[in-house]
Amino acid sequence: MTVIRDKKSKKQSRAIKLGIVYILLGLGLIVMVFPYVWMILASFKIPSEIYDRFFPSRFTLENYEMMFSAGQSGSGSLFIRSVFNSLIVSSIATFSVVFIGSITGYALARLRFFGRDFLNYFVLFQMLFPAILFLIPRFLLMLELGWINTYQGMFSPFMVSAWAIFLYTQFYKTIPQELIDAARIDGCSELRIVFSVMLPLSKSVTAIVAIFTFMSTWDEFLWYIIITKEYDLMPLSALLGLFTKGEYNSYPGIQTAGAVLLTVPILILFFFFRKSFSKGIAMSGIKG
Amino acid sequence: MSKFAGFGLVAAYIIHSIIFWLYPFLWGLVIAFKRWNIISPEKEFIGLSNFIGVLYDPLFWISFKNSLYFMAVYVPLSIVSALGVALLLSRIKFLQSFFAVGYLMSYISAGVAYSIVFSLLFSGDGLINTWLSKINITIPWFSDPNIAMASIALIVVWKYLGYYSLIFLAGLQAIPKSLYESASIDGASEWVQFFRITVPLLNPSFTIVLIFAVMLSFNIFTEPYMITGGGPLDSTQTFVMQIYHQTFTALHAGYGSSFAIIVAVISFAFVFVIRKTVERDVT
Repeated sequence: MTVIRDKKSKKQSRAIKLGIVYILLGLGLIVMVFPYVWMILASFKIPSEIYDRFFPSRFTLENYEMMFSAGQSGSGSLFIRSVFNSLIVSSIATFSVVFIGSITGYALARLRFFGRDFLNYFVLFQMLFPAILFLIPRFLLMLELGWINTYQGMFSPFMVSAWAIFLYTQFYKTIPQELIDAARIDGCSELRIVFSVMLPLSKSVTAIVAIFTFMSTWDEFLWYIIITKEYDLMPLSALLGLFTKGEYNSYPGIQTAGAVLLTVPILILFFFFRKSFSKGIAMSGIKG
Repeated sequence: MSKFAGFGLVAAYIIHSIIFWLYPFLWGLVIAFKRWNIISPEKEFIGLSNFIGVLYDPLFWISFKNSLYFMAVYVPLSIVSALGVALLLSRIKFLQSFFAVGYLMSYISAGVAYSIVFSLLFSGDGLINTWLSKINITIPWFSDPNIAMASIALIVVWKYLGYYSLIFLAGLQAIPKSLYESASIDGASEWVQFFRITVPLLNPSFTIVLIFAVMLSFNIFTEPYMITGGGPLDSTQTFVMQIYHQTFTALHAGYGSSFAIIVAVISFAFVFVIRKTVERDVT
């Protein structure tokens, strides 16, 4: 009898414990998501309600209208342009990081050539250096190249990632040699092997590399405010940051509308590729 | 044949590294020993003067102090909360990935965007203070020089909580279940199990999170730039803000470069100490 009761109460206390775990996680999640909910609501509020009310008394689009009408007289809406600029810069960087990452990773993992071991170490070595060391000399390089205020000035430093090369190298080491041999017998060039054999097998690595690269170049701020001088060319993060500090200093409504505009594309990407996000973090823990 | 193929495939990487990595790296070293204001062609070699100048710069030490203050709030808070979330997540099966994804949401917020959100939410008459004032408290989050840096640390904790949790969760899942089973057969309580099994075996995750957190503390820019602009009373000045200011407002490129080198050396030193003191071989 007592044994049975004991088991029962043990089961019960375990259920209670589990319940507490869920409650704690739920409360934490509310704290985590709250700023997003507030941001979205605030962007639809009339300015006087942004500070002291959580729910708006009425929804208005005027923040978005004002944001998108900025700079309209000259060359069209500045903020729409900046989204376009961000897309160009981030897409080119992402495409290049995947392309160069995969071909370099393949060569480092599967081909024999002079200097390969050195390059493998060099990739790891590069990852040790903090970005701040490169900020000034890269800017001076851009001055020299005449790339200040150009797209290539913005994306060129981000076109290669040692981290991406490292991930591809590690992954390509695990692919069976028979697949490569078979492709070679079929007369594939090494470049063809990367694109028709290796890349299709490494979709999960590619997803991780592409997402993290796109996100980090989309969010980048310091480099863009250094390298761009004209509003027309600025990516959204730079334009929004400078406008928030300047013209829109006392327009919290437009600021939050801009914050929504900056966040939503990555949020959409996140919900489609959430598995890759968590996998990328858990697996590598290398990207800072 | 594949000998040349190998070279061909790594060529893009090598060329990019030479132009955008090695060349700037060396150039940064060279100009750190020069006095140069970017605009004029004149670059005068001045030896170690820039480095000495940085070490005598009160704003360098203020930024250093601010970074340490940031770290003192950020590191323990991040580790405790992220480990807490990871432990909770490791105890559930149903909805585990839902919660993991939910906690990760803050990680994807752009620096500029969440700085805007928190600077409004936590402003003097913002919503948080409106709510707090109902229990007769208002906190001058970003306007009191004593707590402004701590407030910034707090919002960065928010941003990276889910990220660090996932690193811890992966570490927890790598610990063999059999260890806990045999420990509980031997009568070890959950607390004993936590401190004798979980904490020591989680060492790799601790090390990684600690290194990330420390590196971040020395490299923070967007949040203070956007929210406080370094104020009030320089209480949120950071290294990167100083380097930015010295180079792109005051145009002292050589000075900024030697500042950056000193900061890199400091963060290397911190990482080295962490590796020596915290990291253990667990196999």
